[in-house]
Amino acid sequence: MGTESILLVDDNPTNLQVLYQTLEVTGCKLLVAKDGETALGIAEKALPDLILLDIMMPGIDGFEVCRRLKKDPTTESIPVIFLSALTDTKDKVRGLQLGAVDYVSKPFQPDEVIARVNTHLTIHRLKREVEKKKDELENELEVVSDVQRRLLPKGLPEIAGFKLAVHYETSLYAGGDYYDIAKLADNQWGFLVADAEGHSAPAAVMMAMTCALFRSYPEPPTEPGELIYFLNEHLCKVADPSFVTALYVVYDANHHTLKIARAGHPPPMIYRSSEKKAIEYPCGGVFPLGIDPYEQVPVTEAELQPGDRILVYTDGITERFSMDGKTYGEERLLRQLEADPGSQPQELLVSIMKDVDKFATGRPADDDQALLLGIVQ
Amino acid sequence: MEIIQKEENGVVLLAFKGRLDGKSAAEAEDIINSIFKGENNRLLFDFEFLEYLSSAGLRVVLGAAKEMKRRDGKFVLCALNAYVKEVFEVSGFGAIISITDSVESGINEIS
Repeated sequence: MGTESILLVDDNPTNLQVLYQTLEVTGCKLLVAKDGETALGIAEKALPDLILLDIMMPGIDGFEVCRRLKKDPTTESIPVIFLSALTDTKDKVRGLQLGAVDYVSKPFQPDEVIARVNTHLTIHRLKREVEKKKDELENELEVVSDVQRRLLPKGLPEIAGFKLAVHYETSLYAGGDYYDIAKLADNQWGFLVADAEGHSAPAAVMMAMTCALFRSYPEPPTEPGELIYFLNEHLCKVADPSFVTALYVVYDANHHTLKIARAGHPPPMIYRSSEKKAIEYPCGGVFPLGIDPYEQVPVTEAELQPGDRILVYTDGITERFSMDGKTYGEERLLRQLEADPGSQPQELLVSIMKDVDKFATGRPADDDQALLLGIVQ
Repeated sequence: MEIIQKEENGVVLLAFKGRLDGKSAAEAEDIINSIFKGENNRLLFDFEFLEYLSSAGLRVVLGAAKEMKRRDGKFVLCALNAYVKEVFEVSGFGAIISITDSVESGINEIS
């Protein structure tokens, strides 16, 4: 590895020379420093791949040099090997506690020094490669995430007599949750919420496929059963053994009627203002998309009244964990949906998310979370 | 997550204990895949001590069910707690996977 460099630090010129000659066989570029201050200066400018550091030196000693190297973000990742006549275990432990990777006692055996240097150069090189790959992957995921967010509807439509709000967040850079809204004829609207199993890149691909299929449905998706059947037919060709849960609701804003089809997804929650009570609306359904063809997709109908609320969501909400491993659950979400009569969807959604975060007590979400809330005016 | 494997009269039994979620799914998949290296075509999952099942866990179960279907074999889930049972009901998976109340009835069903 001729391109790698090693910094040798020792105040004794003879030691430095022996060390230099010993390490010439490695083919590395060798830098030298005779005291701690100089060593820190060279380390910062040249960023060597390894530092061999004597401990007892006039001025700042090797322990202090190591401490400062590890404190400085530019030099902290450079591996340090102590090379010292101090052979007490306490000194070795102290050196390692300061962040050194190894400790060689003087007088040293040249073969041993070469072997240890090569080992640590290899470890350092592999570590850098892993970090580089990790950065590359993270960058790619950010790109995926960016593309994904652009697939979501831009803003929400104005619907006469029906107010909407949405909350969407992914647990990693990219996620598997998806929602979409289709404007249909005669003040009818289609609301799709879907959740591709898993998260990160594979789920994002399934999410994008679901989006592409929804938008390429050959006619306006006014029949929920037919839409779900269509999505499944195509996802079955690609999704093995993954799957996507979905809920599709067609809302007629003139008559406040709903048609609902459900594929493995939690049913909508409906709040009846006359009863001041929210329930999980019982809807039949089929298993998730992408597994097997359906024979028939059942459709459930419902009717809303002014003041009624409908919430469609992904299980990242109800399956959100608290620190002590409990899940948020449907009951608590239902109670939230009953809160604050008269509040607008955006306010209510903010207060629901506050409650979810309060419940999680600082435990980060490990699944994506999407909610779409509508209130009849 | 702990998985105990047994074989009785040509039926492979896997007893799951703990949580089958994103963290333990890979381990469970490894065990199931090693079973699939053999010729077995009767598989039973004992969920009596399974506390929690996430969507990643559902994928593992689904993968096993599909493989058994490909082999023209038999696959059954047994002794689900109320929570796990609800997961199968809400997700609709109950319609494509056989579920029985106890391990005994599961063995009877696939033997």
